[in-house]
Amino acid sequence: MKRLRRRGAALLFAATLLQAHVGSPDIYLESKAGPYQLFVTVRPPLTIPGVAEIEVRSESPGVHEIQAVPLAIMGAGSKFPPVADALKAAPHDSQFFTGSLWMMTSGSWQVRLTVNGAQGQASLSVPVPSIARASKRMDLGLGAMLSVLGIFLMAGIVAIIGAGSRESKLDPGQEPTLANRRSGRKATIIGAIIVVAIVVGGNYWWNSEASDYSLRIYKPLRMSASVSGTNLALKMSEPGWMQAETLEQAAYRVFIRKMDDFVPDHGHLMHLYAIRQPGLDVIYHLHPEQREDGTFILALPSMKAGHYKLYADIVHSNGFPETMVSEIDLPETSGRPLAGDDAFAATTPWQQAGSANTVFTLPDGYKMEWLRSDKPLLAKRGISFNFRLTKPDGSAPSDMALYMGMLGHAAFVKTDGTVFAHIHPNGTVSMAALMLTGNSGSDGMKMDMPGMKMAIPNTVSFPYGFPTSGRYRIYVQMKHGSSVETGVFDAVAAGT
Amino acid sequence: MASIPAQHSDLASVPQARVEVSEKTATVPWYIWCAVFATTSATVGAYWDISWHETIGRDTFWTPAHLAIQLCGVLAGIAFGYLILHTTFAKNSPLAAASVHIFGFRAPLGAFIASWGGIAMLTSAPFDNWWHDAYGLDVKIVSPPHILLIIGVYSVVIGTLVLLAGHMNRTQSESHTTENRLILYINGIMLTQVMILLMESTQRVLLHSVRAYLVSAALPPIVLALSSRLTRYRFAATWVAAFYTLFRIGLILVLPLFPAEPKLGPVYQQVTHFIPEEFPLLYIVPAFALDLLWQRTKGWGAWKVSAVSGVVWVSVLLAVEWPFASFLMTPAARNWFFGTGYLYYALPPNSFAVRNVFYPSSDTPWQFGIAMLGCMLVGMLAVRWGITRGEWLGKIKR
Repeated sequence: MKRLRRRGAALLFAATLLQAHVGSPDIYLESKAGPYQLFVTVRPPLTIPGVAEIEVRSESPGVHEIQAVPLAIMGAGSKFPPVADALKAAPHDSQFFTGSLWMMTSGSWQVRLTVNGAQGQASLSVPVPSIARASKRMDLGLGAMLSVLGIFLMAGIVAIIGAGSRESKLDPGQEPTLANRRSGRKATIIGAIIVVAIVVGGNYWWNSEASDYSLRIYKPLRMSASVSGTNLALKMSEPGWMQAETLEQAAYRVFIRKMDDFVPDHGHLMHLYAIRQPGLDVIYHLHPEQREDGTFILALPSMKAGHYKLYADIVHSNGFPETMVSEIDLPETSGRPLAGDDAFAATTPWQQAGSANTVFTLPDGYKMEWLRSDKPLLAKRGISFNFRLTKPDGSAPSDMALYMGMLGHAAFVKTDGTVFAHIHPNGTVSMAALMLTGNSGSDGMKMDMPGMKMAIPNTVSFPYGFPTSGRYRIYVQMKHGSSVETGVFDAVAAGT
Repeated sequence: MASIPAQHSDLASVPQARVEVSEKTATVPWYIWCAVFATTSATVGAYWDISWHETIGRDTFWTPAHLAIQLCGVLAGIAFGYLILHTTFAKNSPLAAASVHIFGFRAPLGAFIASWGGIAMLTSAPFDNWWHDAYGLDVKIVSPPHILLIIGVYSVVIGTLVLLAGHMNRTQSESHTTENRLILYINGIMLTQVMILLMESTQRVLLHSVRAYLVSAALPPIVLALSSRLTRYRFAATWVAAFYTLFRIGLILVLPLFPAEPKLGPVYQQVTHFIPEEFPLLYIVPAFALDLLWQRTKGWGAWKVSAVSGVVWVSVLLAVEWPFASFLMTPAARNWFFGTGYLYYALPPNSFAVRNVFYPSSDTPWQFGIAMLGCMLVGMLAVRWGITRGEWLGKIKR
């Protein structure tokens, strides 16, 4: 224990500046708009303002038209929808619709889809966190063209200044005198100096604008982890994104990020994934509680020694989700037993595992199977990842239960550490944000309504698309009785 | 423009001599009408485009407002490109003797300036498109590609003025009524264009702040002094300011007649028709004061006139704009004429304009007073520069 304390004082604190879900910006949602089952993909823009791409596949026949409109999830901006844009049906597939929408400001947005079809009109709102993630560089062709034009304009204006001084006041037909020519040369030199000064000043201004813009690029809340005894403390700090430091910002910035406005997402203020590095062979899904001073505290369960990456998911009161990232070194820890919604799995490191295994044998002999199609997995292609939990004899458990109100949870983690996504049966959106949009079709949650007796299936599906090509680990949690089972699968996504 | 008052014939510092040249009549050449049309198109297009962004939001490049702006660049490029080529290569070109030489080409100086402006405008289009892709900034008027566009428009306007001045200075005619009217018109266009550049600093909520008076002292007096020196009209500054005032009031009266809705979100203010820009600043009052001053100071040196002009411009503007801005914050101004109820769709509910309050200033009365003295100094330099440019234009012959 002393060793643990010692090490806790010298922990590695690292806040990785990545976006919500970490490296996985695209939004996948599978849900119902009234009678229509939709698979929605929203690809947010890199810059804000920027254009989000939208794809909708109707899994129910008879959809004639889908319109999309952007709105804030709540507060100012949620009352007056702009004119809706009609999504276009694909020529070869009348139930696949595509379109685009401008995202004008950073904040917690929704894209409201209105579906018209054989079964009438219905709507579905897709929560979309709107953030600037980067700025684009100028491509070579455009850069070359603008450089040539720029040089021409600079040379042109200098020549005009010189000619103006040399000849403009001369009577028609009169040849410039030596004094006129000297005056022209002087004006040319002065003009050149002024033009160079303007270009230097313009360059400084450009850099200053680029620097200002970089301040608007999303930075998640910082999180530092420390251990005292067997308690893990997660302390947050603001790195300076979407704050109101001036009166003008306070007046014009509708979304100002806070650190005291978190709302529970399926029953917990924070969902913490601790994943051992570099093998991604041990995973814990835990739920720290927030103290009055804002720090999140967790009584650690017994944990295996190692270097862990911590991914902490929280949701702000306006539905804006964030994933905070930190790292920590832990010795073998003897703590409390896992309880409640805690989940754990240990398996072989990904470096020693293949990518073809679709059946994971759980510690109690149950099996979790990835019902994988024969089609290759492609990056940026949204599909349903389907899993089944069976007893050791292959039959369906009779005591299937909901895990935090849903059929299951999944985490997709890229082995190089650039991607972490915490997925629900509805998709990548936070359930809290989905509820704030007023959707009636959040299927997973509906199953947990008091008084409703429903047979809980032993299968679960997660709509998701790998953001980039490469190797991933997938952690899937399902529950039967009081046992939370965590299956681990490996996958390789190819580039598109 | 309506009728222009009689010429004031004896403004001291304007050169009286007009050079006799090969152009036998004072008929305004086709290329000047072309330039006048181009600059008008750019001005209407620019304000229409701003309204488009405030009403509908960012749209395709091919909106009529964008096309009206770029028409200016295209027209300037084609018309003055043709003029340059024709003057350079055609035998017996009437303008050959009245040309300057640049890169082996020859043409009147104004043609080179205006065509340069056209190329600058066309260059700004891909630059601006990339800028939005890279930084996404849209609501700002003052950005590097927008400034290149604005400089391009100004160059077309300045080129037109140079062409007009050169034409006047070369022709024999005693009267240049049409040309002088066109100069006032072009300067009205120039002031209206300058106010686009100053728009972000002269919003209603800033009219009790130093910033609005500083920028008002820095640029508009240049245009007014230049107009007065070049045309010799007694009320040249007043007419130029009147053009700006009527143009902006016209937008308030006309644009809301056309229905439109935001195509982008979030929408914080419900909008059902095109949103015009705010009520014009009351420049017409200090411009009138400057005209009266300049009529009575004909024998003064340029620096002395400029110093007094700076004081008059800032004092009169402050005296009329400050209380008028207070009025604009009241419910009485939220009507079809003053138009303070027309709000940009993305204006947050907490913003100063929506709450009808001024941007707070931390200046003490002393600090504000010293800042106004600084504005007067800036105004003096602006008037002096305007006089210099007006005198230079009065001597242009090519």
